[in-house]
Amino acid sequence: MIALSTIHHGVLNIPSLQIPPGSTAIIGPNGSGKTTLLKIIAGITSPHQGSVVIDGKSPAAINTGWLNEYPDRNLLFGTVSDEIASPLRFRHDPCPDVGGRVESVAQDAGVSHLLGRLTRDLSGGEKVLVSLATAMVTRPLVLVLDESDSHLDPVSSSTLSRLTRNSQALYVIWCTQDMEMATRADQVILLEGGFVTRSGTPQEVFSQLSGDCLYPLSWRLSC
Amino acid sequence: MTLTFEEVSYKRDQFRFTANGIFEEGVHLVSGLVGSGKSTLAFIASGLVPPGAGSVHRMGIRKSLLSMQFPEHHTTGITLNDEIRSWGLDPEAILASTRLFTRGEQDVNALSRGELKRLHLGCVLSADADLLILDEPFSALDCREKRVICRRITERGYGTVIICTHEQTWLPPVDCIWEMKEGTLVSCGRVPAAIPRWSLAPRHIRDLLKRGLVPGNISPESVMEVACRTRE
Repeated sequence: MIALSTIHHGVLNIPSLQIPPGSTAIIGPNGSGKTTLLKIIAGITSPHQGSVVIDGKSPAAINTGWLNEYPDRNLLFGTVSDEIASPLRFRHDPCPDVGGRVESVAQDAGVSHLLGRLTRDLSGGEKVLVSLATAMVTRPLVLVLDESDSHLDPVSSSTLSRLTRNSQALYVIWCTQDMEMATRADQVILLEGGFVTRSGTPQEVFSQLSGDCLYPLSWRLSC
Repeated sequence: MTLTFEEVSYKRDQFRFTANGIFEEGVHLVSGLVGSGKSTLAFIASGLVPPGAGSVHRMGIRKSLLSMQFPEHHTTGITLNDEIRSWGLDPEAILASTRLFTRGEQDVNALSRGELKRLHLGCVLSADADLLILDEPFSALDCREKRVICRRITERGYGTVIICTHEQTWLPPVDCIWEMKEGTLVSCGRVPAAIPRWSLAPRHIRDLLKRGLVPGNISPESVMEVACRTRE
């Protein structure tokens, strides 16, 4: 369980929030604190006030994969293969292991054909998929994705969903503006003005939003 | 105002781009898979990248403007006011229209990505351009802002607008649909006849087509209209 308690940081104001294992979609208007919350869970930001505990440990002690909402800010290295290999090399994994793992995760992410390409020449969507492969290469316990689907076509979005579902990450936490994607999460958290205003299963959350544009269009059409 | 791609081709490493087609005045949607060449089309259409072969003709287009996929690639100002002035626009009016009212002296980098996109599009849509090319205008925006952008595109009422996007729900009414398929520009034609030929149509539209229903356009309102009509 991920437990947040008395969080005050920037716009965020969360007295208490528990996130169970599984796939959790965080939704909400622009500027509502989604990225701030994700950074706190990922251990990138320490809250000014409050605490985060993941399975009894500090976020800093957890192997976490992270995807920034700015695709260019995920990429550090010149070639795609070096980029995906970098987390393994930073922890000094043996070279043969690194090569095999890079090929395996690249194949899963559908980016094998990009391994020799320069990262600067990738399209926006390709950058996201390469960054996802990089985030997953160490088999993290927690995978945090900040609007990674906003540059993806439906086929690539399905790849992203499949990859995260099949990953060994116990917690996959992602924010999105695609409510159709959010309906496929195990739980949904709605942030508004820094506050958690709704949380629960997609059915529980969206059933209270039928008058809002957040309500999935496919649900409206199937009424 | 007509933009014509005549036997245009472009090559980068293994990637090949080819385009033949005429973008007449109106709103054009370009969809395509990741890496299919939508951004390349946008850059060539704007004149920022010259074609390797063939030619691009801009008839009656005095000014063209490209909104790049990533708003952070556009920023030149330190504060929001600086950024808006760099577009030659009035900060007060843009801050009001983008609902960033009191934030003019804040650092642009302190905005969330969605807010930055909102500011950027507020500037782009206020600029006077005959040819407007919007590369992924809806990414990072929440549904309320997507609706605002759709409305502003619709209300613009002049010139040629080319929208390259993966957006599946919040789309404005368009005149023509195009697809990029592995680097090749393919015309689906004018709406509504183009909709059944649109291979990358959003799932909810494909579901309607399977039921024999063709919406009048691709906006949520048009989709709801055809779906509700059959329920009556």
